[in-house]
Amino acid sequence: MKKDNYISLWFKDFWRMLGHELKLIFSDSGVMIIFFLAGLAYPLLYNVLYLNGNVNDTPVAVVDEAACAESRRFIREIDATRECAVAFRCVNMDEAERLMKEGKVRGIFYFPADFGERIARKETAILSVYADMSSFLYYKNALTSGNMVMLQEMRNIQIERYTAGGMPVAQAEQLVQAIPYEENNPYNRTFSYQYFLISAILLVIIQQTLFYGMSLLVGTAREENRSLSSLPSGLRGNGVGRAVIGRGAAYWLIYMAIGLYIACIVPALFGIPQRGEFFEILVLLLFFVTDCVLFSLSWSILITRRESVFLLFLVVSPVCLFLTGFSWPTTSFPTFWKWFSYIFPTTFGCQGFININTAGGGLESARVQFTGMTVQIVVYYFLACAGVYIENWMVRHRERIAGAKRELALRAGVDLEEDRRIIAGEQAQ
Amino acid sequence: MIRWKNILAVINRELRIIRNRPIYLLGSVLTIAFSAVFFLTFFKSGLPEDLPVAVVDLDNSSLSRELTRQIDATQLSKVVKYNTFEEARADMQSGKVTGICLIPEGMFADVQSSRRPVITYYINGLYFVGGALTYKNITYMINLAGGAVQREVLRAKGVSEDAIMGLIQPINIDFHQIGNVYTNYGYYLTNVLLPGVLEMAVIIILIYSLGAELKYGTSRHLLKTAGDSLQTALAGKLVVYTLLFFSLGLIIVLLLYDWMKFPINGSIWYIALDMMLLVLASESVAIFIIGLLPVPRLALSIGALYSILALSFSGFTLPIEAMPPYIQGLAEAFPLRHYFLFYSREVVMGTGFAGWWREAVHLLLFLFLPVFVLMRLKKAYILQNFPKN
Repeated sequence: MKKDNYISLWFKDFWRMLGHELKLIFSDSGVMIIFFLAGLAYPLLYNVLYLNGNVNDTPVAVVDEAACAESRRFIREIDATRECAVAFRCVNMDEAERLMKEGKVRGIFYFPADFGERIARKETAILSVYADMSSFLYYKNALTSGNMVMLQEMRNIQIERYTAGGMPVAQAEQLVQAIPYEENNPYNRTFSYQYFLISAILLVIIQQTLFYGMSLLVGTAREENRSLSSLPSGLRGNGVGRAVIGRGAAYWLIYMAIGLYIACIVPALFGIPQRGEFFEILVLLLFFVTDCVLFSLSWSILITRRESVFLLFLVVSPVCLFLTGFSWPTTSFPTFWKWFSYIFPTTFGCQGFININTAGGGLESARVQFTGMTVQIVVYYFLACAGVYIENWMVRHRERIAGAKRELALRAGVDLEEDRRIIAGEQAQ
Repeated sequence: MIRWKNILAVINRELRIIRNRPIYLLGSVLTIAFSAVFFLTFFKSGLPEDLPVAVVDLDNSSLSRELTRQIDATQLSKVVKYNTFEEARADMQSGKVTGICLIPEGMFADVQSSRRPVITYYINGLYFVGGALTYKNITYMINLAGGAVQREVLRAKGVSEDAIMGLIQPINIDFHQIGNVYTNYGYYLTNVLLPGVLEMAVIIILIYSLGAELKYGTSRHLLKTAGDSLQTALAGKLVVYTLLFFSLGLIIVLLLYDWMKFPINGSIWYIALDMMLLVLASESVAIFIIGLLPVPRLALSIGALYSILALSFSGFTLPIEAMPPYIQGLAEAFPLRHYFLFYSREVVMGTGFAGWWREAVHLLLFLFLPVFVLMRLKKAYILQNFPKN
């Protein structure tokens, strides 16, 4: 009889852990909902929400006390911009203010009575713009369209003046705009909300659904007083590595599939730019999913009950999203939160995805992020191993821990028995 | 007939539960505290400063260096110099710089001889705030540089300094940001995000509290304590949680508008009222969800999905009217949406009652939701015939 050598034993244990975990996942409807319903439907839902991406024709009111040719032309131009539409023409500020308070307009353009006179006197004419700050997109629209029209009108007026003074048109144009410029926003031409938000949110969904689903299983195992991370029987303290890798492989397989759907198919469905090669996205997913699995394996150790992950960690989702730096720039993070952001795989994964997929920079453009994820993978692997160790210790010392808990309650003056009676009554349990 | 004794018994029982399972306080107080600290410190500076902008200066003249210095001197930008456009582009794609300003070769000579050299700039609009601000800043600075050239020419022609200003800038815009004078990004987001987190906590905690009775099979004992009346049982539970969440809501209001001095055009008491209505409406939604689906796990998943979506559906980032029409109506089903509308009238515009009473009524309408599921929930509590997990 030949004894199993180390490698074949390792693989035998690995396969057993993998099969066991897969069986657990697919026999738990709660986890299935999170993995497959939330994982598959959430990206679609967010894409539909932000489908249009741009806010067009924000309604604004104009108050034209100048009623001169220049102000009328200015108003026509504002109305013609993509950003704003003149919804109301008011006789005075009171009326416009009322409309703004009622939320019927999001901005007011006010031309004072001396607007035309000042232009005629070759002084600077000043108009006032009031913007509703309840959503920054209203403000952005009023600002962009106001500035654009102002620059255009300024040049028109200047050229009129110089040519009226006898200057040839070509020379006047040279003088008025001595340094013309050409603006490019290559990755997101219209500052579309869809492109920048969805690019960041997709990978956050991968991490969060994976974490919630795995935590549900860990919580269930804890409630049923069996240890999910217990080692393959007969190993007696050895084989932590294969326990972690075996369990992780089950999630990894499922999430590589979900990840490919989220990172490749969903953007194609909704016309998000896909400037990266498929191979590059695949490499990114290999790193990111591995990282997420080990991250979840490590942190789910804190979960003691099935539902507690929602109570404790739901708020992490929006926090993670902000920590990717997709909106508030990473360079302006306070130092503490910058370090804090290194906890999450999404911090690196989302930036990598934005750079490779949406900006089309190739693998090279995500070098920092790949390094970050590699460090995380190593750290979380050891943390997950440590978690299995601790878990095992606690399983073996369950009695002693329960005793310590009772003693602590006694010292704090809490009668656990009485509490139980009041909560659940005599007949329960 | 209200049975005060039973309500008191339920309250007493609920307090014991909270004492025994720290998760209730961790899930509410700790979550809110963490979010408050996070959002208030994360956006502390209000507007980003010193965003890295790449300048590729192919001209190397006094004019191009002056422009580079000018961009660097703005509060918003910090110039990083690059020798070639390729290097700068690679760094923009990897998110290291928010934009590139490409100064063409021979710019100064071209300006001198009126050949109108074109400056090209590129923005990475995928990192939104940084990109948008950099766009604004570079456009502004290039226009200033153009204006400076024009001024030189006019001076050389002997136009007086007073007249020059009117010639260079015939029109100017005086911008007024109503409700957020400093265009502070932190004010804008935190004002809605913190109530959003509170709504999240209310829904999740209450669903859990009601669902745990089913899960641990204690629902019959709860009903017995309440004298076989679900209304009494709910009243007792709600007294505890409403008090808890009212205080948390009040703390948020005081924290934002008193301690942190967030701008508020209206009255702090009205926004406190808004917060209370938000708590009550969210509680009703929670009861509705667990009543409709008396399976704790499912109800919690749905509650989580719902309360995360509420942040998008409140419409404070992308306005609702910009969403596809077939989805706009859904926004009405989220208390946070009405909280936001109430807030935008009271805090931003300072309209008082006339501006927001409809939103208050909307929020109050949510209170009818539990009525539809009371019978179903009571049956589930008595029979315990749903899956427990």
